[in-house]
Amino acid sequence: MEINEMLFLAIALTTVLSALIVALSKKIIYSAFALLLTLIGFAGLFIYLSADFLSMAQIMIYVGGILILILFGVLMTQRIYDPSQITAHNSIWVSLAGGIAMAAITGAVVWLNPWGKTLAKDFEYSTSRIGSELLTKYLLPFEVISVLLLAVLIGAVYLGRSREVHK
Amino acid sequence: MNNLESLQFFIPELFLTAGLLVTIIVELLLKKEQKVFTAYLAATVLLITIFFLIRQYAIEPAALFGGMVVIDPMAVFFKILTAVSTLIIVFFSIPSFRVKAEYYVLLLATTLGMMLMAQVNDLLMIILAMELVGLVSYVLAGYRRSDPKSGEASLKYILFGAASTGIMAFGFSYIYGLTGQTNLFEIQQALQSTQHNPVILFVAFVLIIAGLGYKIAMVPFHFWLPDVYEGAPTPVTAFFSVGPKAAGMAVLIRFIISIVAGVSADGQTFTANAPIHAQELLAVLAVLTMTLGNLSALQQKNIKRMMAYSSIAHAGYMLMALAVFTSQSVEAVMFYLVVYMFMNFGAFWVIHRMTPHLGSEEITAYTGLGYRAPLVAVAMGVFMFSLTGLPPLAGFIGKFYLFAAVIKAEWYILAVLGVLNSVVSLYYYAYVTKVMFLNRGDDESAVSISSYDTALLLVFLIPTLVLGVYWVPVISWATQSLHFFLG
Amino acid sequence: MIQLNTFLIISAIVFSTGIFTILYKKNVIGILMGVELILNSVNLNFISFAKYSDAQINGQMIAIFIMILAAAEAAIALAIILNIYRDRAMVDVTLIDEMKN
Repeated sequence: MEINEMLFLAIALTTVLSALIVALSKKIIYSAFALLLTLIGFAGLFIYLSADFLSMAQIMIYVGGILILILFGVLMTQRIYDPSQITAHNSIWVSLAGGIAMAAITGAVVWLNPWGKTLAKDFEYSTSRIGSELLTKYLLPFEVISVLLLAVLIGAVYLGRSREVHK
Repeated sequence: MNNLESLQFFIPELFLTAGLLVTIIVELLLKKEQKVFTAYLAATVLLITIFFLIRQYAIEPAALFGGMVVIDPMAVFFKILTAVSTLIIVFFSIPSFRVKAEYYVLLLATTLGMMLMAQVNDLLMIILAMELVGLVSYVLAGYRRSDPKSGEASLKYILFGAASTGIMAFGFSYIYGLTGQTNLFEIQQALQSTQHNPVILFVAFVLIIAGLGYKIAMVPFHFWLPDVYEGAPTPVTAFFSVGPKAAGMAVLIRFIISIVAGVSADGQTFTANAPIHAQELLAVLAVLTMTLGNLSALQQKNIKRMMAYSSIAHAGYMLMALAVFTSQSVEAVMFYLVVYMFMNFGAFWVIHRMTPHLGSEEITAYTGLGYRAPLVAVAMGVFMFSLTGLPPLAGFIGKFYLFAAVIKAEWYILAVLGVLNSVVSLYYYAYVTKVMFLNRGDDESAVSISSYDTALLLVFLIPTLVLGVYWVPVISWATQSLHFFLG
Repeated sequence: MIQLNTFLIISAIVFSTGIFTILYKKNVIGILMGVELILNSVNLNFISFAKYSDAQINGQMIAIFIMILAAAEAAIALAIILNIYRDRAMVDVTLIDEMKN
């Protein structure tokens, strides 16, 4: 086994195992930190898929943005120093049935392997291509998402604003 | 068409976006007591947008922005419908949201999203447009921040919404894996030219239907709806019940005529691209949707909850027509949405304006309303019977076209189940009318109604009555709009 | 060893874990984490198809937009959660249930 493949195996296992910890952990704060590992694992996997730009974006947006938001939410809403603070859960068997059903369906799809011939492309940098695509073919989605972010900004500020100021 | 050439067909959207930005800036310059001005500004923006849209009537189909969106008469129809519904909602909201300027900005943003949903032609644009509508809707549902019910509504909405969008995107990724394309018509070509494994297409179809079905409140993705409809402020509930639902129907139609099926040469029937039994699945879901909606509506005591389940049932009727895959059924759905807009807005307007007078949203609070506010009660009765589909009201004509499309395609069992459902729905709609007219309540003081309330009530009442006897202009407009972009 | 199916299996596992998380957790933020898992697996699918088929870069483009949407969704969700938390000091979805069926 090459070092390349060993590293890949390590990343893949980290990603999957930490995702399972996110799901099964009894404490929400542990889930949040396991999610950190999962997200970094995904960033590693993206490099193997010649998505260098996305790998960096993954770290900056997910780890630097979304995860911080989630952690902030956890810290705001939970008394984490209280050892009795264990999150309640729904029935594990029902949830497990749902998860396993999904796994069976997606597993069957992968097993059927209908994708046709796959190509073995070499690693190629994608950043410059993404940049030019964003301003040519993907110009409309780029503009639409800027309107979306503006609307989300207004909405989130409205909901988050403290009420005393506005009375 | 490239980006620069596409701009000339994109004037309504560009104007709406500019109007949105201007509204934000104007809002900052106004004093608190002047903020109702932003509502009028938003209404003006929508009115001019509708004017631009009407100029696109009967336009030649074309793909814009490198195939990201299309423009065709069907898109124009749905864009006008959603813009008009938002315009009505602006006037609907003015009495309750006088100083809430952000509210109107958010309404304009959702309108942009709904207009994009009407013309999507790429997997990415489907996700983006639906999220633009969705994300703003979550905020609107929780707009009354001090009301715990409103917060609960928005929380349930975002949890279901986020999960179903993720599932839908997962389905899209399989479609992309099979065909290597994201443009809907390039996907169609790839699916028609090579034989793909039907199992995986079926899995992808089911996953995608989960996302689309959530938007139009299809069973079993309807759980969020009763709580959201009850908890959200009534103008917002009325808004959710028509605009986003119509836009969701538009996306579903686009999805059916591109990925699921292809339109035959004569343009009348759609033939499936792959043997995945999409029609049967949609038909079963339609029957489940209307049956569950109607049976649950029977048990409701809160009138907003009853209307929520009734809106699930109506989504079922429209799905029933869509399941037969003919252009006639698409036409019927388009006509039904116009009719549904007036009667549903009318019912919600009565609920919205009467709740402060009656002190409760319970159906029993409407006891004796026929003696306290005769005009309002008569109008409510008309809306209820129109929703049931009794002649000579607009709802009857709408349902007639839906059932005609199903029967013409020889899906008799489906039609019979639909009619049975309509009979069930008569019970709970008629119950409201019975309570209003046949029973007398303890409080018999007359309810005072402002002239603004009456004016808006007539805006809903007159079309509901007129479209029941003279519906030719609307149906011919729908027929004219049955001109799809087909790759 | 590193082929298309390897990535698809990873993404299928994470996707199923995400569905399980949504069903299992009662904590609102826990459910949000499940949604993030699902969106990540979607991105992995799109990017691996872009790499291993003759498709162009569109898979990566979609992944970028989904990332931005996930961030926007998390922002709105957190705003809603904090708004509710100010009133009731709890984030258990089953307890946030004023409306009866």
